[in-house]
Amino acid sequence: MKQLDQIQQSREAYERIPIPDNLDERVREGVRQGRAARAARRRRRVQRWFGAAACFAVLFMGLNLSPTVAHAAAGVPVLGGLFQVLTVVRYDRSEDGVNYTVDVPVVEAEGDTAAAVNAAIQTEMERRLEQARRDWADYQEAFFATGGTEEEWAGREMDVIIDYAVKYQSETQVSFVVTMAECWVAAQEEWYCYNLDLAGDKTITLRDLLGENWADICNEAIRRQIGESRDSALFFAPAEGGFTTVDENTAFYIRADGVPVVVFPRGSIAARAAGALEFPLV
Amino acid sequence: MPTITDNALETFLVDHQDRFYRLAYSYLRHPEDAMDAVQTAVCRAIERQDRLRNPAFFRSWFYRILVNVCLDALRRRGRFVPLTELMDIGREDPPPADELLFRQIDALPQEVSTVIKLRFFEDLSLKEISVVTGCNINTVKSRLYSGLKKLKLSLEGADLV
Repeated sequence: MKQLDQIQQSREAYERIPIPDNLDERVREGVRQGRAARAARRRRRVQRWFGAAACFAVLFMGLNLSPTVAHAAAGVPVLGGLFQVLTVVRYDRSEDGVNYTVDVPVVEAEGDTAAAVNAAIQTEMERRLEQARRDWADYQEAFFATGGTEEEWAGREMDVIIDYAVKYQSETQVSFVVTMAECWVAAQEEWYCYNLDLAGDKTITLRDLLGENWADICNEAIRRQIGESRDSALFFAPAEGGFTTVDENTAFYIRADGVPVVVFPRGSIAARAAGALEFPLV
Repeated sequence: MPTITDNALETFLVDHQDRFYRLAYSYLRHPEDAMDAVQTAVCRAIERQDRLRNPAFFRSWFYRILVNVCLDALRRRGRFVPLTELMDIGREDPPPADELLFRQIDALPQEVSTVIKLRFFEDLSLKEISVVTGCNINTVKSRLYSGLKKLKLSLEGADLV
């Protein structure tokens, strides 16, 4: 047999590598994430300054990084009513191989709840940024320790993207999600959900929305949707770390139509191939 | 300067996802890790497409992103896992000949196996491989010849350009 025929046969072995059924879904999720990240970068380049009335909340968050650009803007969206959600710190810079794209939301409203939420976001964001810096430093150390060269290292970079989206708003309530992503090996996002009743100066709970039987209502809806999912085989059994029950710490946001949506971190109750784990409580 | 259109890049990425997955799997030997790598590379390519200076090279540009993501994942694991270590588990009979050479390719030094895979499995030209690996074309040729020599294969009749 000609030796190049051997290469052709080994190629045939390569071509026989089976393709997972959900690869297309994962690729399209990657496209979606990439579009969102690209749009976020572009938004940063449009600096919009509003009048003095909107710029009253200029706060520098005291981060360890030294931003080359930090702007205060009455931001997207202006909700009106009792409060506004403002973006008061914006980053779009690169430092030591890490590209930071950060939009930090701050709720401007009376009462302790808004202040507590703002403090929680600040704390979590600083923790996440510090974690990202440590991860990158650890990786660099491991890279060279395993024989990597300077030539190979050049051009390596990591993206840290912090962004937010307002999911629901009314005159007195707001539900928004802050996403934090460290994108360098696996595209992952961490979600932090905040649901505020600013008239009542408190956070909204699933009990508030669904009543005393909130846990049973949630559990039934989630189990049903897991059973109906085309990826049901990817969900872990309860005894193997799969879903058992919601509790007071279960994260959720309120959808635009007012429906609460329970969220679980990717990889928590199902294989990561199952993607984002969101369960509308309908 | 002309840029690649959003649709052209996304179409390319979606249409060739199987190829990208197989290449990622050849590095990572784990379906979930390979899908993670493809997803990460796709996300990064879409996000950074404005940096692509010459849209004529977007294929090799994306392969560069994908290969780097895979190599980063391997380094994050802490070691390179030889294919033989993974595939011998539970095996009793000798592997078929085509799979044996596939294993041998994987057992080559990473920079050499990358060139072999990109040339013979993904049909990239040597010039494209130089873009993917960030090395000049003579280095690519040297690695290719080194790999084929280790595999005890002849270049006779090979279309290597």
